Amino acid sequence: MPNPLQLLLPALIPSWNFFDVIAPSPRVEFAVTSSAEAAPEAWREFRPRPHRLTPGTMAARMLWNPRWNESLFLVSCAERLIDNPTAHSEDEIFKRIAADLARQPETAEGWLAFRLVFVAREDQAILREVLFEASPRALAEIDVR
Amino acid sequence: MTLPDAMRLTQMLLALALLQQSLEHLRGFRDERALFLARAILCVLVLLGVASPWPLTAMAALSLLILRRFQGPYNGGSDRMGLLSLWCLTLASLAPSTPLKELFFGYLGAQLVLSYFISGWVKVVNPEWRSGRALRDVFQFSAYPVAESLRALAEQPRLLTVMSWAVMGFELAFPLAMLTKPTLIAALVVAGTFHLANACLFGLNRFFWTWLSVYPAILWLQSRLIP
Repeated sequence: MPNPLQLLLPALIPSWNFFDVIAPSPRVEFAVTSSAEAAPEAWREFRPRPHRLTPGTMAARMLWNPRWNESLFLVSCAERLIDNPTAHSEDEIFKRIAADLARQPETAEGWLAFRLVFVAREDQAILREVLFEASPRALAEIDVR
Repeated sequence: MTLPDAMRLTQMLLALALLQQSLEHLRGFRDERALFLARAILCVLVLLGVASPWPLTAMAALSLLILRRFQGPYNGGSDRMGLLSLWCLTLASLAPSTPLKELFFGYLGAQLVLSYFISGWVKVVNPEWRSGRALRDVFQFSAYPVAESLRALAEQPRLLTVMSWAVMGFELAFPLAMLTKPTLIAALVVAGTFHLANACLFGLNRFFWTWLSVYPAILWLQSRLIP
């Protein structure tokens, strides 16, 4: 685990290379199964974006945008899992999916799995490739507080 | 704008930007809530100017714990600019002499200029940006568009090529705006509008508030370099 000063250094001497290359873009997909051994089949995209946003919603998000910012953090975790895998990134994704499931009215029980699908363009075609699949964890054992 | 006035205004704007972010984290997990509640309180103290410069210094120390919590910045570039600003302001506040204060605060202003210029440079050397293809990719498949309907913009290649060159041209020309105060103010209005568009289209609200909070530093730097 890098120490905080190592993490601070790129902020104090920044590279500012925003969007220099449009890299393959991760999507988090998850599935809930009844046992650890069951193969996940019904993969669902985690927090799919809405079809449309009204100007009013966009304006409100200038001041209150926690859910979207959390989704962007998960994009960072997904990229880290491919570039430099750590248990931290995997834990964060598990926790945030489990927390969303815990907020839903119907109780989710069983085992949670997630995978990372990277979307990229090759010539004119848009390709999707699964680059990471996490081993399932029992939902009951994921701390969502 | 005098150095103390510019530093104070930057501190207040940064405190507001970090307070907005901190409040968003209060809906998070328990450990996040503790860290960001502490930061929210420190932001209020900075805003009120209480016990200066210690709340700012405490925020800088707290930023290390937050970096450790997320193993890096939570939201990439916007958090990095917030950290840079926080540490430059802290060091400038603690510095024992005016030249040192100017050095730390001037570094922040200079980095703001570089943030635009380098962003433009890394794009213009990439043929995919020059052709508009990169911006099409952003809309077509990146994780940033806030709504699926925005992906339709990828079907407007001419518009996106024009937009790409407008962004690259503005970013590359930004240092020239430092020549006079009116040109700098005009450039900052354009830059603010650019950040606002990014916030609406890509949900990057933190960029908008964080970059705006550093504008007093660049306004002071311009008047210090070209009186």
